[in-house]
Amino acid sequence: MMRSLLIIAAVACVALLLGAVLQPRGYAVRVVCLILLAASLGQCWNIVGGLANQVSLGHAAFFGIGAYTSTMLQIKFGLSPWAGLPIGMLFAALVSVLLSIPTMRLKGPYFSLATLAFGEACRIVATAATGLTGGPQGVSVPFAGNSWLLLQFRGAGAYVPVFVGLFVVVCVAFTLLANGRLGYMLRAIRENEDAAEVTGINTLGVRLAGGAISAALTAATGTMFAQFTFFIDPDIVFSATSISIRAALIAILGGVGTLAGPIVGALVIVPLEELLSAYLSNKAAGIAPLIFGLILIGIVVWRPSGLVSLVTQRRGRT
Amino acid sequence: MTPIVEVAGVTVRFGGLVALSDVSFAVRPGEIIGLIGPNGAGKTTLFSALVGLNRPDAGAIALDGQRIDGLRPHRIARLGMTKTFQNTALFPAMTLLDNVVTAAAVRLPLGAARALARDCLEKVGLGAAADTDIDDLTFPQKALGEVARSLATAPKVLLLDEVMAALTPNEMDAVVATLRELRDREGITLVIVEHHMRAIMRISERILALNFGQLIASGTPAEVSRDPQVVTAYLGQPDASHA
Amino acid sequence: MIAVLQALADGLMIGGVYGVIAVGLSLVFGVLGIVNFAQAEFMMLGMYVAWFAWRYLGLDPLVGAALSFVAVFCLGALVQRLLIQRIMKAPPVAQIFLTVGLLIVLENSALLLFGPEFRTVKTAYQTRALMIGPIFVSVSYLSAFVAAVIVSGGLWLVLTRTWIGRAIRATAQNPMAATLFGVDTRWIYAVAFGLGTGLSALGGGIVLSYSSVSPTSGSQYVVLMFTVVVLGGLGSVMGALVGGVIVGMIQSLSTLVMPIQLQNLALFTIFIALLAFRPQGLLGSPSR
Ligand SMILES: Nc1ncnc2c1ncn2[C@@H]1O[C@H](COP(=O)(O)OP(=O)(O)OP(=O)(O)O)[C@@H](O)[C@H]1O
Ligand SMILES: [Mg+2]
Repeated sequence: MMRSLLIIAAVACVALLLGAVLQPRGYAVRVVCLILLAASLGQCWNIVGGLANQVSLGHAAFFGIGAYTSTMLQIKFGLSPWAGLPIGMLFAALVSVLLSIPTMRLKGPYFSLATLAFGEACRIVATAATGLTGGPQGVSVPFAGNSWLLLQFRGAGAYVPVFVGLFVVVCVAFTLLANGRLGYMLRAIRENEDAAEVTGINTLGVRLAGGAISAALTAATGTMFAQFTFFIDPDIVFSATSISIRAALIAILGGVGTLAGPIVGALVIVPLEELLSAYLSNKAAGIAPLIFGLILIGIVVWRPSGLVSLVTQRRGRT
Repeated sequence: MTPIVEVAGVTVRFGGLVALSDVSFAVRPGEIIGLIGPNGAGKTTLFSALVGLNRPDAGAIALDGQRIDGLRPHRIARLGMTKTFQNTALFPAMTLLDNVVTAAAVRLPLGAARALARDCLEKVGLGAAADTDIDDLTFPQKALGEVARSLATAPKVLLLDEVMAALTPNEMDAVVATLRELRDREGITLVIVEHHMRAIMRISERILALNFGQLIASGTPAEVSRDPQVVTAYLGQPDASHA
Repeated sequence: MIAVLQALADGLMIGGVYGVIAVGLSLVFGVLGIVNFAQAEFMMLGMYVAWFAWRYLGLDPLVGAALSFVAVFCLGALVQRLLIQRIMKAPPVAQIFLTVGLLIVLENSALLLFGPEFRTVKTAYQTRALMIGPIFVSVSYLSAFVAAVIVSGGLWLVLTRTWIGRAIRATAQNPMAATLFGVDTRWIYAVAFGLGTGLSALGGGIVLSYSSVSPTSGSQYVVLMFTVVVLGGLGSVMGALVGGVIVGMIQSLSTLVMPIQLQNLALFTIFIALLAFRPQGLLGSPSR
C-alpha cells in the first residue's frame, strides 16, 4: 500500500517536473500528456479487467459518454467542463449499472463479447443521434482562450498538472480498491465466485460497484481527452480498437491487475505510437496497429503476466 | 427447543436426475450431526441447497425460524450458515491468511478482520501456515483452511464437506477434538459429511443417511449403523437397486 | 404483404450464406473450446482470395471460394499450431487477447497489403433477377444460397461419413477418450481450426459474389457471426446453419421498419439479450 502510493507520487512528480521544464507548446510535453491519459485509461480498465477479471472490450462506451457529455453541455448550455465532468461520470456509472443487468452473470469470453457489442452499439447510437451528438462529422470544443474555468489552454504544457491530477485520482482509486476491503472481495470473486458468495460476499453488488467506479473514472478520462484534442467524433471516442482494446492492451502489456502495469504499458505504447505515426504512417497506413497486434500476441504467448513481471518475478499471477 | 435448521420436502433436480427427493429433517442448536451416504447419494447437493448455491425445485428451508430458500448464498452466510467445499475452494492467488481475512472483511474493517483471521487459523491449528501460498499447502491443510475461512464468517451453523479426508487416524482424532471444541466453546452447530465411519460415528450425536437422494435413516450412531437400509446401501446388495 | 414475402425470401437466401460463415466459428468453439474473435478476419481473407482469383484467373467467386477455403485452411492450421496451441489451457484472458491480437494483425495486414479501397467483382448474372410469383429473386442471392446449401451438405458428409470428421466430433465430445482411440488430438485441433476458418473464408468468397471486400469487411461481420452462433448454440453445427437463416430474415425484415444505420443496432441488442437470457442458444436445451 505504502509502496503503491510512493510509486504514484514519484510518477506524478516526474510528470510535473517535465511539464515545468519542457517547452510548453512543444511536442515532448504533448507526449507526456498522452502518456498520462493512456496510463489513466489503462488503470480504469485495470479496475474491472485486473481486479475482478472481467475482460471488458467496451470501455469506449464510457470514454465516449464522458467526452460527449461535457462537450455537448458546454456547446449547448455553456456549462464548464468542470461541471460536465461529474455529470458525465454519473451518467457513465448509471449506464454501467444498466449494462450489468444483462452482462452480470456472463463469464470469460461471453462477457467480453457482450461488452464489445455494447461499445459498438453506443458508437452507432452516437453516430445516428445527430441532434444529441452532432452526428458522424463530430464536434469541436469551442476555444475561448486560455482558461482554467473552461479547462482549455493553448499548448500542451498547461494540461500537465490537470492530467497529473486525473492520473493520481485514478491510481489512488485503484490502490484503495486493490488493498482495501473491496479489493479483497474483488479478488475473491475473480478466484472463485461460489466460494466468495458462501463466505458472505455479495458478488453481484461488489462487481456492480467496481464496474461503476471504473466506468465513472473512464468517463472522466474521456472528458479530459476532449478538452485536450478539442475535437471528437463517434469513431474516435467510441472506437473499439483505439479505445476499448487499447485500454486493455496498455494494462496487459504492463501487467494485469498491478498498479504499475498500466503505467509501464503507457510508457511503452504511447512513445511507440508516436514514433510509428511520425515515421511510417504516411507511407503505410495500418502499420502501427499491426505492430500493436503483434505485441499483444507476443505478450500473451510469451509473457502472460506482462512487463512488470520482469521485475517482480514472484507475484502477479492472473 | 426450536430447530436452528429446518428442511421440509426439499427436492433438487439436475435435468432428468433427481439428486435430492423430498428430504426433510431438523437440526437443534448446538447439535453435531453426521451426514452419511455412498458416493453420489446427494450429500454435497444437500449442502449446496442449504447455503443457497442451488435452488431447490420444491420444498422449504428455514434458518433460525426464517425462510432462506431462494436467498442468495451471501445472504444466507450473513444470516449464519455457510459450508466448506468438498475438493476445497480456497482462493488460489492469495495466502492462507488473506483467504480468511477476505471472509472476515465482509463484516469487519481490515484491521479487525486480520486479527480475527489469525484467531480462526489458530483455532484449527494452522497458525504457523498463515503466510503460505495455497498451492504449497497439503490437502488436509487446505481442508482445515476452509474451516478457518468459514469460521471467519461467524457462523451459527457450519456444514463441513469431507474436511477429514486424507487424514491419518491420529490427525483425524485431533480434528475431531477441534470440532468438538468449536461446538462446546462457541455453540456452533455442525453438520459433517464424512466417509470415514469410525470418525463420523465418534463425533456425531445424530446421523442422517442419504441414498439416491432420499433420506433413508436418522437416529443415534448406534441405531443408524444397525439400520438394514443403511447396511444394504453401503454393502450394495442387489435389492438396493430399487431404492 | 409482398414486401414482407420479398424480405423473407431475401433473408432466407442471405441467411443461408451467414450460416456457412458462422458454422466455422461454431466448429472452432465446439472442438477447441476457444472463442475466436478473429474468425471474421479469416472470412475477410477468404474474400480477398476469391477476389484475386476472379481478377487474375477469371474465376467466378463461387468457384474461387474453393481456393479461399484451401488457402485459409492452411493458414488457419498453421496459426493453430504456432499460436492457438500454446494457449489451449491458458486462462480466458489470454485466449481472448490472443485472438483479439490476431484480429488486429489480420485486419491491418490486409490494409497494408491491399490498401483501404473496396473491391467488387463483376459477373454476368449479377444484375439478373427471376420473378417467382410476385417475388423478385436476385440470381446472385440465389446462386449464393445454392452454394451455401452445397457446402453445408458437404460439411455434413465430412463430419459424419469420414474418419477425420468422426475424429473431430470425438475430440469435441471428449478429448481424453478420443486420445484413447488413437486420435492425435493436437493434429485434430489444427485440422479443426483450419476447417473452421476455411469454412468462414469459403463463406466470404460466396458473400463476395454479391458484395464487396475491404480490410474492414471482417469488422462488419464479426458481431453478425457471433449473433448467429449464439442464437444457434455455441458449438452446434446445425444450430449455426439455422441461426444464420433466422438472422438473415431478421435483418432483411428490419430494413422494412428501420433506417439502415440502425439495423446493426437491432442486431447488437438482440445479441446482448441472447447472451444474457439464452446463452445456450434458442435451439439448445438448458444444461447445467
Ligand atoms: N451440477 C450438477 N449437474 C448435474 N448433476 C449433478 C450436479 N452435481 C451433482 N450432480 C449429480 O447429483 C448426484 C449427487 O451428487 P453429490 O455430489 O451431491 O453426491 P455426494 O453424496 O456428495 O457424493 P460424494 O460422496 O462422491 O461426494 C450425483 O449423481 C451427481 O452426479
Ligand atoms: Mg460430495
